[in-house]
Amino acid sequence: MAAGDTSTGRRDAATVSDWDLLAADRLRAQAVPRPGRSFWQDVWSRFISRRMAVFGAVILILIALLAVFGPSLTGRSYNRQESSLANIPPVLSATEFAGQANWFYVNPSLKVIEVTPDGHLVRQVPQVSDDMLTKRAIFEADGTAVQLDYSRQPPVLLGADGQPGERTHLVWNADYRLGTDALGRDVLTRTFYGARISLAVALVATLVNALIGIIYGGVSGYVGGAVDTVMMRIVDIINTIPLALYVILVKVVLGSGGFSSIVIALASVYWVDMARVVRGQALSLKNQEFVLAARTIGSPPGAILRRHILPNALGPIIVTGTMLIPSAIFIEAFLSFIGIGIAPPMASLGTMANDALATLRSSPYQLLAPTATICLIMFAFNFVGDGLRDALDPKLRA
Amino acid sequence: MTRYIVKRLGTSLVTLLFVILLTFVLMHSVPGGPFAQEKEAPPEVLDALNAKYHLDQPLVVQFFEYLGGLLRFELGPSFKYTGRTVNDFIVNGAPFSMRLGLITLVFVLIAAIPMGILAARRNGRWPDAVVMIIATLGITIPSFVAAAGLMYVFAYRLNWVPTFGLDKPTSYILPVLALGGYSLSFLARLMRSSLLEVMGQDYIRTARAKGLSEVRVITRHALRNAIIPVLTVLGPTVAGLLTGSFVIEKIFAIPGMGSYFVDSVTQRDYTTIMGMTTFYAAFLITMVFVVDLFYRLVDPRIELG
Repeated sequence: MAAGDTSTGRRDAATVSDWDLLAADRLRAQAVPRPGRSFWQDVWSRFISRRMAVFGAVILILIALLAVFGPSLTGRSYNRQESSLANIPPVLSATEFAGQANWFYVNPSLKVIEVTPDGHLVRQVPQVSDDMLTKRAIFEADGTAVQLDYSRQPPVLLGADGQPGERTHLVWNADYRLGTDALGRDVLTRTFYGARISLAVALVATLVNALIGIIYGGVSGYVGGAVDTVMMRIVDIINTIPLALYVILVKVVLGSGGFSSIVIALASVYWVDMARVVRGQALSLKNQEFVLAARTIGSPPGAILRRHILPNALGPIIVTGTMLIPSAIFIEAFLSFIGIGIAPPMASLGTMANDALATLRSSPYQLLAPTATICLIMFAFNFVGDGLRDALDPKLRA
Repeated sequence: MTRYIVKRLGTSLVTLLFVILLTFVLMHSVPGGPFAQEKEAPPEVLDALNAKYHLDQPLVVQFFEYLGGLLRFELGPSFKYTGRTVNDFIVNGAPFSMRLGLITLVFVLIAAIPMGILAARRNGRWPDAVVMIIATLGITIPSFVAAAGLMYVFAYRLNWVPTFGLDKPTSYILPVLALGGYSLSFLARLMRSSLLEVMGQDYIRTARAKGLSEVRVITRHALRNAIIPVLTVLGPTVAGLLTGSFVIEKIFAIPGMGSYFVDSVTQRDYTTIMGMTTFYAAFLITMVFVVDLFYRLVDPRIELG
């Protein structure tokens, strides 16, 4: 019997004899008042109590739903070009003329678009003549002429009589909710496709980390010795080249294969960080008693790794994963942005941002949709990651 | 110390050698070879080209020739721009990238460390919240998004700064902000959390008990230990900033090394890709090595070996 127990026994002896039955309330003190909670129930309740993390998770689910079902909601495709309706913003400033049912909008490339009062785009009004000297262009709309005076900044639409229109209205673009890009493609649909690519990259990064990173790191750490040294040297070498550089190299070798080559490039190197983390965990866990116990009863190494080491390393694995996923999304957007990622006409948030940069001065809305989406995805993943980290291991909280 | 330096130099060289080998093998496994184009060149022309660039020799011979060139700091000729060498690209681009990188580095250091200290000292109050919001924004917003947004607001809309180039002192503002945003946020967060941890230690209480002023407690006692994690990540940070970000150089039309590298990739200029990668890797390894030495000087407790 331990020393502490004997001393309490002696104190009790003054009041109660050792052989008396315990009072009913002292028996109950040993009872567990509430049902036990498993580790995962604890994690879940800690995660759910963090408002930003839940918010991030909801945003991610929404983006995923839109990425999957969005294109069928808009009914447009990412590559259909309507060059007569290029560079049309989400909100149009349309001019109304007396006697005309429809209104007219001048886009940044000085094309006149006929718009219905409820915001539907009818067509690009054909141009009849263009007088370079007076800087006036005549457009023919339903029998009447419309003049565009582009000597002024911004250009002004005039009626057939040379007088300005009755009034200008701001109308929402009812056909293209987020406008069209420089080639007349629907920005909203392309944003959905871009989000789809981003989330697909996130999925690939997760799979690669889970399949290669965890197994590689686990084997390296658990087997140890020369195997570990060689395996980690390989990781060191891959780690020396900046990841983006390596992905570029792999992409060059594979040719401009669009999405598949990005996937292969990421898959071939993107597991090294995870491998390091898992190796570190395996190194510290493999000397613990429960692993020794498993070895004693003759569990094969594979089973020890799978059933004993990896479940115990799950916290750090998930935390590392949630940090690696946003950076994979960033790498894809970054490569597409500099022109060596997703090949056109496929839409990626990076290529969209790059295309929008060319027309930034006249059509800034084209930049807003892809950049806001990628920021939202990055924020959401970061909040979920922070929430998971705190929920899985409150000690790690920075 | 000397033994440690020699050992580290050795492993760095081996790593670099493997990087070179890897890039070499990758670049030589590109299907079609460097001169494959949409318009098929006559076989005699191809043979002549291959002979000129020694591509007709066995791979092993080519590899050792390449290594020999590297020892003389020659990265070979460009396959796409006749008469120009990879060295030309680096010599032309490096001054721009380095200058931008150095300014960014100075900016990041003089902003991030005080930000981290401020956040840690006012932990839980509004200065902490402000710093953490800035840091979270800096970490989550991709650099090209930040660059494009900054450019639209401050160059196009407000017309405060030029949109491209590095001609005026004001033209550095936006590239420095966009390039340094991530490192700034990361270092500020790191500084904050490590200082918070150090401030809870016993020796800080002792220093206060001696009656030292708060400024002296932080500068003489707390910072010396709290700065170590910051120094650890400084190596890759310095290398990344100095070699320049491809995206920033592209958006702001800065003729640095990054823009040459991106060009060489889109043009499939294999020797340039190979040479630039080797240069980046060598630079990165050197920086990590230098910072590692420095870090061991700051903290004598760290074992050499």
